[in-house]
Amino acid sequence: MRAEHVVLVVAAATLMILVVLPLASLIVGSVVDGGRPTLEHFREALRGRLYVQALWNSLVLGAWTAALSVVIGLPLAWAVSRTNVPGKRFLHFTAVISYLTPPFLTAIAFVNLFGPNAGLVNRFVRDVLSAPALTFNVFSMAGLVLVTVPHTFPFVYLLAASALESVDASMEESAQILGAGRWRTAAAVTLPLVAPAVLSGALVAFVNAIALFGSQAIVGLPGRVFTLPTRIYALFDYPPQYGLASALSLIFVAITVAALYLQRRYLARRSYVTVGGKGGRPQLVDLGRARFAVLAFGVAVFVIAVAAPYLTLLAVSVSKSWGLTFWQNLTLQHYRFVLLEYDVTRRAIVNSLMLAAGAATLAVVLGSLVGWVDLRTTAPGRKLLDYVSLIPLGLPGIVVAVALIQFWLALPIPIYGTLLIILLAYTARYVPLGVRSANAAFRQIDPSLEETARVTGAGWLRTFRSVTLPLARPGLFAGWLLVFVPALQELSASILLFSSGSITLAVAVYNLYETGALKPVAALAIVTMVIITAAIALATRLGRGGAGVSVAQ
Amino acid sequence: MAEIRIERVTKRFGATTAVRALTLEVRDREFVTLLGPSGCGKTTLLRLIAGFMSPDEGSIRVGTATLSTPGSVVPPEQRGMGMVFQNYAVWPHKTVYQNVAFGLEVRKVATSEIRARVARVLELVTLGGLEARYPAQRSGGQQQRVALARSLVVEPSILLLDEPLSNLDAKLRERMRWELKELQRRTGITFVYVTHDQSEAMALSDRIAVMHLGELMQIGAPREVYTHPANRTVADFMGLVNLIPARVVRADAVAVGGAHTLTLTLPPRVADGQPVQLAIRPENVRLVPIGRGAPAGGDGLPGKVSEVTFLGNLTDCYVTLDDGTRVRVQAEPGLALEIGQPVAVRFDADAASVFDV
Repeated sequence: MRAEHVVLVVAAATLMILVVLPLASLIVGSVVDGGRPTLEHFREALRGRLYVQALWNSLVLGAWTAALSVVIGLPLAWAVSRTNVPGKRFLHFTAVISYLTPPFLTAIAFVNLFGPNAGLVNRFVRDVLSAPALTFNVFSMAGLVLVTVPHTFPFVYLLAASALESVDASMEESAQILGAGRWRTAAAVTLPLVAPAVLSGALVAFVNAIALFGSQAIVGLPGRVFTLPTRIYALFDYPPQYGLASALSLIFVAITVAALYLQRRYLARRSYVTVGGKGGRPQLVDLGRARFAVLAFGVAVFVIAVAAPYLTLLAVSVSKSWGLTFWQNLTLQHYRFVLLEYDVTRRAIVNSLMLAAGAATLAVVLGSLVGWVDLRTTAPGRKLLDYVSLIPLGLPGIVVAVALIQFWLALPIPIYGTLLIILLAYTARYVPLGVRSANAAFRQIDPSLEETARVTGAGWLRTFRSVTLPLARPGLFAGWLLVFVPALQELSASILLFSSGSITLAVAVYNLYETGALKPVAALAIVTMVIITAAIALATRLGRGGAGVSVAQ
Repeated sequence: MAEIRIERVTKRFGATTAVRALTLEVRDREFVTLLGPSGCGKTTLLRLIAGFMSPDEGSIRVGTATLSTPGSVVPPEQRGMGMVFQNYAVWPHKTVYQNVAFGLEVRKVATSEIRARVARVLELVTLGGLEARYPAQRSGGQQQRVALARSLVVEPSILLLDEPLSNLDAKLRERMRWELKELQRRTGITFVYVTHDQSEAMALSDRIAVMHLGELMQIGAPREVYTHPANRTVADFMGLVNLIPARVVRADAVAVGGAHTLTLTLPPRVADGQPVQLAIRPENVRLVPIGRGAPAGGDGLPGKVSEVTFLGNLTDCYVTLDDGTRVRVQAEPGLALEIGQPVAVRFDADAASVFDV
């Protein structure tokens, strides 16, 4: 048996256990009840008032979020890449931080600002301005959209910005010299050229928005705005209704896959050939005085998406009582509580760090195997392997959890409720990121570099170890970080899989929130952010050192 | 009338000056090429004419209208010019028809007339029948024709072309040259053409403006610029050239190697006895084999053949003169030469130029 076959078999078997079999048991579970085939679960999921309402709410949430993501992301992208707006780095930073902020933290912060009775802004509006009509209830669809958009507009921003930057200046100048003014040029040339990227960003925003369990539970449940993830979650209350949960999960998957399919088609259309040549960057639009208005728009986004959540959590976490005069009585007792007295915290920190590091490593290793088989061998079935590894892109976090529960509960191996099943869930969720990164890293290594080693007499393993791996290391490490960061704050899958021993950081925050202890929650949220930031900084530093060494050698 | 008058135009980018106090006049219906190596400022000058940039000093006028001064620049969309880009810049999201019709739609021409004019111009660039196709999948040559048609359909009085042929393969480039020249003659549009390819410039232009480091070195008909370059830079850029040390012997003559005297026009302010450089192209050097019947010495400079390459339509060789100077000669192919063979070289005074050292 040749080495490439071993790798192929190992990768295929792992993907079977992680993705294919759980998904298969999800499908089986949705159409089988008590050993007999049935369509009852799907009928209930598509007819039952509760479930149709949840489906509708999810679609409404996704649509509004996608639309608002364009409304915020596109102007910012245009301002940063095409105008002389001041503070470009600040605007870019706003988008990146918004994206990195765990959505459930934003949700908790906004509950403290816009909770119907105790929300700080609502109190101010009602008690100081005496304008109760202007209060805003965050526990509503509008509130849900408000706390979700900060996490999703960066998708549109990033895709639109890179598209705007890659449009060749001469495309627009051709229209100008033919007599088209600035707006006509924008409408006839620029907008059509970047539209695929913008639409694609909107669809990614849609898919991400509807999959966020945290904000939908924190803001949606109190307002009785049920969505697909929260409905599926509720089905696991005793007695759990696995069949219905499976059917609902598959409907959820269908929506996600349909959106991603559209997204791919739009993105493919973006491959408008740009012929080489000097072409060059477009000249920046001089906004004149209007550039300060555009900057003000960016500052408003920063205030809502970054400043408000963090400052609110910080303020709540140190206040004795949350109200308009909270700053008169400050305390560190909430921090003492979550760090010293609440024994869950330390366990959750350790668990999350281990799980994130483990899942990132596994995802990258598996990604490397898949990528290597795909790019460097002619083994039959290598393309199929690549496709299978991308399946989890279409699976919302909570669906991964449902599938894993279905699969492992049917087996006599008791891993439900352990760290292991959460590790499997994280690895399955993020394996596409590992595959993409490994693929990109290997693609940059010319095969002749490896062939030279082989010709010189190095075996396959030796070649991989001393040529391929060192060259691919920076790319693989980037992939590792790409998995590590979201895994550290994962909630959607963990929420169904944790037990008191395997609790994670995000679950700890959510559980504490459910008890109504808003001030300790804020303290724990701040602690979580500090840990995430520190872990990213440390990982980046270690990674850079490693990459530096490999180059020096 | 579409004559362009560029007067003392300067354009700076930070510390570098891309165009320096440049004055140039392009006549109505003329084909003028801005020629120079990359970085000489030719594209900047073209973009200044188009209105994509504003000059830091000087002015650009077309006919009686002042289009560009440092304070005010008529925007490109109000200049009524056409422009063809190096990378074609055809819009991939529009069909060939939509690409070409765009300028007419902007001008609010009636639909029926748009259809007729697009059909006519597509016929002109031999793209008839491809109206419904998307240009992105067409060949480079066809894309370039779409770009041309798009510019021509609005009947501009001035067409600016920025290295339009440089992305095409050699054969297509050759053919497009003839087509462009033909097109310009037929339409009577003033062409301003940018290229770094001197043979392209010679083939196309009524006049060539040679630029170097942002300055205009010389402007003139191709033959004039080629045979009587204004300075060494132009001579060098316009093709192969020998630069041979010489000495002024009269107000209208120089001597090379002491013996060979040539009568020609000298640059002003040169004194008798002053060392100068004689610039002569390889094809203007006559080669006479010495010995075995041929007159020894004669009127020429003796030397020996040091390298020979037979190229089919000519024989390319180097002759090392007795004083050590190497001269490149392109001789008729019938001449049989061997390395080491003694020869005499003679320069054609009518085709030579003299530069200060």
